[in-house]
Amino acid sequence: MSREPNLNDLIGDEATGAERQQLQNVHEMLLEAGPPPELSDTLEAGPNLGMTLGQQQRQRKVKRRAMLLLAAAIAVFAVFVAGYASRSTGGGGPHALITQQFTGTKLVPQAQGTLQVWNSQDAGTNWPMTLSVVGLPTNSYYDVYLVRNGKPWGACGTFRVGGSNESPVTVTLSAPYTIHSGDTWVVTRPGRGGSEPGQTVLKPVNA
Amino acid sequence: MRKNDGDMEIALEVPQPRLRAVPSDPAPPDDSPSDAELLARVGERDREAFEILYGRYVRSVFGLALRRLGDRGHAEDAVQEAFTAIWRSASTYRPERGAAGGWLYTVARNAIVDRLRRNGPSADAELPELASLEPGPAQQAEQSDVAWRVHRALEELQPRERQVIELAYWSGMSQSEVAEYLHLPLGTVKTRTRSGLARLAAVLEGEL
Repeated sequence: MSREPNLNDLIGDEATGAERQQLQNVHEMLLEAGPPPELSDTLEAGPNLGMTLGQQQRQRKVKRRAMLLLAAAIAVFAVFVAGYASRSTGGGGPHALITQQFTGTKLVPQAQGTLQVWNSQDAGTNWPMTLSVVGLPTNSYYDVYLVRNGKPWGACGTFRVGGSNESPVTVTLSAPYTIHSGDTWVVTRPGRGGSEPGQTVLKPVNA
Repeated sequence: MRKNDGDMEIALEVPQPRLRAVPSDPAPPDDSPSDAELLARVGERDREAFEILYGRYVRSVFGLALRRLGDRGHAEDAVQEAFTAIWRSASTYRPERGAAGGWLYTVARNAIVDRLRRNGPSADAELPELASLEPGPAQQAEQSDVAWRVHRALEELQPRERQVIELAYWSGMSQSEVAEYLHLPLGTVKTRTRSGLARLAAVLEGEL
């Protein structure tokens, strides 16, 4: 829909000769280049500490991996304790019906996670879920999909990993479906157009 | 919602172009350090120099990444990795071997290619299998190079010049509409456009 600007319309016909040719060249380069991309708030904010810590981070790669593993273990343990505690309280308190461990795909092999699906009074229409992940690339959004018969079947929500991928991120989501035996979940990057799953970053262990 | 359809968005929502804030006073005459000087300072771990360099190149790097990766999330990751690489290897830059802009382009492109490889075959799988009228790799590379240089050169304009250039070329508005939008006489808009184009030409010729 946008019309292509004409150099005569832009600057009139005052410039001539070499100057005109010079402006014409720049005009054509601007048309070819297209607009500069719109920056996200994160990029607009300027360089972050991670850029200038990159070297040290690389030197500490082994230590970082160990920290990631430790953080993942803590996350799994925390989810386990939370589930155990809620069961111990008995009565009407929620308890995890399903616990699924995630492992990173080849895109993010260091990532791990745990998902728990909880019982609730309106189970059958909305199943609350607690998802803990660690090691996913930061400042990115991710989607959780219910997988049925080996295919993504329904979206269960979106979450974002912020500034540090060494700290576990725990979010509460919902599976607004009737859950069947054999259902599993995956975590993906947002897909094109936002309506379909993107690349899978976390898959069930042993999947 | 992600914004991969920027042109359409601009065309439909005028006047909401992707403009940056324009200070009330024009920028002072340019006596800022060159890219090569900044790289030398970055090589000595000067964070202020790194911030200036980032401001000059982030749009070029992000634009390049977006063209190659086609996904804003991946492109943002690539920007992070490109500037990490620039910070890490700035001390290896040798001015006698070429312009700083070319060195930065190479470092950024390598980081983006690394990201592309890491995304693996699943990224390729997203590409359509049908024959395409899109430019081939060589033409895409040339377009990327032009975009890199032009977007970098735009950063050298005074904000008011950059504003009229961006409006004139990418908002879909006519010069009269630009003048009305900016509450400026049409002659002033044309003068600023011409001086902006001349300045861009000088920057591009000096840098290339």
